[in-house]
Amino acid sequence: MTLDLIFSAVLLVFSIYCFFFIGAVDNGTATELGAAAWPRVILGLMIVLLAVGLVNMIRKKDGKLPISAEGCKAFLHSKLLIGMVICAVTAIVLPYIGFIPTSFLFLAAYGVLLGERRPQVLVITGVVATLILYIIFQGPLSIFLPRGMFFFRNFALTMESLIGMIPGL
Amino acid sequence: MLNTLISGLQIVLTPSTFILIFLGTVVGVIFGAMPGVSASMAVALALPFAYPMNGVVAIAFLCSVYCASITGGGITAILFKIPGTPSSAPTTFDGYPMAQRGEAGKALGYSLVASAVGGLIAAFCMAIVSKPLAAVALKFGPGELFAVAFLGLSVLTCLDNGNLIKTILSGLLGLFLATIGMDPQTGVARFTWGSNTLLSGVEMIPVMIGLFAVTEVLKQTAKRDKKDDKGSGMDGQMDYKTTIPSVKEFFAVKWVMLRSSILGTIVGILPGAGATIASFLSYTVEKKISKHADQFGTGIADGIVASEAANNAATGGAMVPLLALGIPGGNAAAIMMSALVLKGVQMGPLLVQNQPDYLSSVFGSMLITNIIMVFVSLAIAKVFAKILAIPYSILGPVIVMLATIGSYALKNNTGDVVLMMFAGIVGYLFVKLGYSAAALVLGLVLGIMCEENLRRAYQIGAGSWNEAIFTKPIAMVLLLVCAAMLLFPVVKPLFAKKKAE
Repeated sequence: MTLDLIFSAVLLVFSIYCFFFIGAVDNGTATELGAAAWPRVILGLMIVLLAVGLVNMIRKKDGKLPISAEGCKAFLHSKLLIGMVICAVTAIVLPYIGFIPTSFLFLAAYGVLLGERRPQVLVITGVVATLILYIIFQGPLSIFLPRGMFFFRNFALTMESLIGMIPGL
Repeated sequence: MLNTLISGLQIVLTPSTFILIFLGTVVGVIFGAMPGVSASMAVALALPFAYPMNGVVAIAFLCSVYCASITGGGITAILFKIPGTPSSAPTTFDGYPMAQRGEAGKALGYSLVASAVGGLIAAFCMAIVSKPLAAVALKFGPGELFAVAFLGLSVLTCLDNGNLIKTILSGLLGLFLATIGMDPQTGVARFTWGSNTLLSGVEMIPVMIGLFAVTEVLKQTAKRDKKDDKGSGMDGQMDYKTTIPSVKEFFAVKWVMLRSSILGTIVGILPGAGATIASFLSYTVEKKISKHADQFGTGIADGIVASEAANNAATGGAMVPLLALGIPGGNAAAIMMSALVLKGVQMGPLLVQNQPDYLSSVFGSMLITNIIMVFVSLAIAKVFAKILAIPYSILGPVIVMLATIGSYALKNNTGDVVLMMFAGIVGYLFVKLGYSAAALVLGLVLGIMCEENLRRAYQIGAGSWNEAIFTKPIAMVLLLVCAAMLLFPVVKPLFAKKKAE
């Protein structure tokens, strides 16, 4: 309920902002719908529905505070939040450190998060899964995965030359 | 029909394509059987493998993954009472009790043969219906096409039995996302805030991969917050005898198989409705009309056949609007459509007319897949008990890395990986708050079609809505159906209330 309220409110504010900021000149004419017409219809409907939803939610709250300290604390200490952070960090660091280190670190970190505590299992599965994915996609499927920068780029180039030595790849 | 069959077999029986379809079937059965990997997710994860293929082969391959994953979902539903895909949930009602009686082989036999029959009937229906439907659709102008696209969105809201406002909002959000980027008609930038990345619009594939793959892993992460990881929930020790049902036993359920296959195909054709609705609906219908309704849920063959024939038939049904109208019949079809668009394929009624290879390829792939998947599934079921022993702490992160590659490989752009992860996180919030990810995807896919055709119709009508839409009989009928679909969930409780009074 709390999260729902926040999500709806944020979406409502964003929709109102977008309604006025289309980012394009309203170039419609009497016989032609402009670039802003269709998005405004959608955003207008969204604003109405979000407002209705918010009013319904607030009515049901019966004067209670929308955000509870306990709820926030539980979310901040949850595996879910850590999982979301790991995913976000992975996407951000991928162009800088390249696929191989990112994949290994992600597999290990998320493995720990999901309850795997044995370091040898984490290292072995991280290395094996990364290499399998790397060889399949970089080799037969010719999808050039991110190399990263500086030291990581040299490392990726070395790996690529090593894979090139495997017959058939 | 015969031409489509011959041409389809010519395409899929070339050694390289056949091997790909075989591999797609194996991958599909394995993905489908894994709890937490839905059919849509299986197709999304198979996407990067399809990038280097040409369009015709790519759709045959993705189609094999799609069909096989729906079938694979039945394996774990029967052996472990864990539906691999949501559409296999009704299979657990009778499949698991049958397996508990020591008849797991028999239950699997019913499941696989019913899946194959359902899939084959749907494939023939698709081959028969697609061309005439596309021929009719060719007479459609922009007004009618707008109405068709709108119908695709409204059907979904009607079938959703959760929060209607949230489902409509999800669809609207998808439509909004589709407007980001360069305006297709006038070329001006919308909602780009000066970003060059946003200028090319929101890519569908990373959003879909994020919504289906990353969201699912986050869901599993949240579930494990309160309990320790005990692998995938199976001990890998399930034994079963491989005695499949006799021909006589199959003949005893032939009408159930036929009814469920037809029902599944029809439900699959409806945009927005998918294999899950098909299997639940078919199971309920069979239970209602059966002479031994009281035995449903105790391990009866009819229950397994009804569910599995319908969910596989829905896969063929879902391909009809995709190929004939350019409208995806479900999430997996939407992913396939975006893959084809990526290949430069112009979706819509002209596809079947100008490039019949796509219809032939899907038809051929469905025929071959539905036959070989019976044998593949039987083989995989034997070893699956052991595969399922892989802990989710390994499986989950690997799924995310596959999703990462799938998004990156689209344009060799790490920005798409960021978009995918963002979609995954937002997708989790969506699921948690009761919004519909399927509606968002449909909105995103149909958004451009809706807008382009509406604006073109208005332009052709010289600024008159009457000329554009309201004087077009087909468009008006379709829009009235849309209105009925949208109003039905609102009116239904009022009628029920009145009746109760």
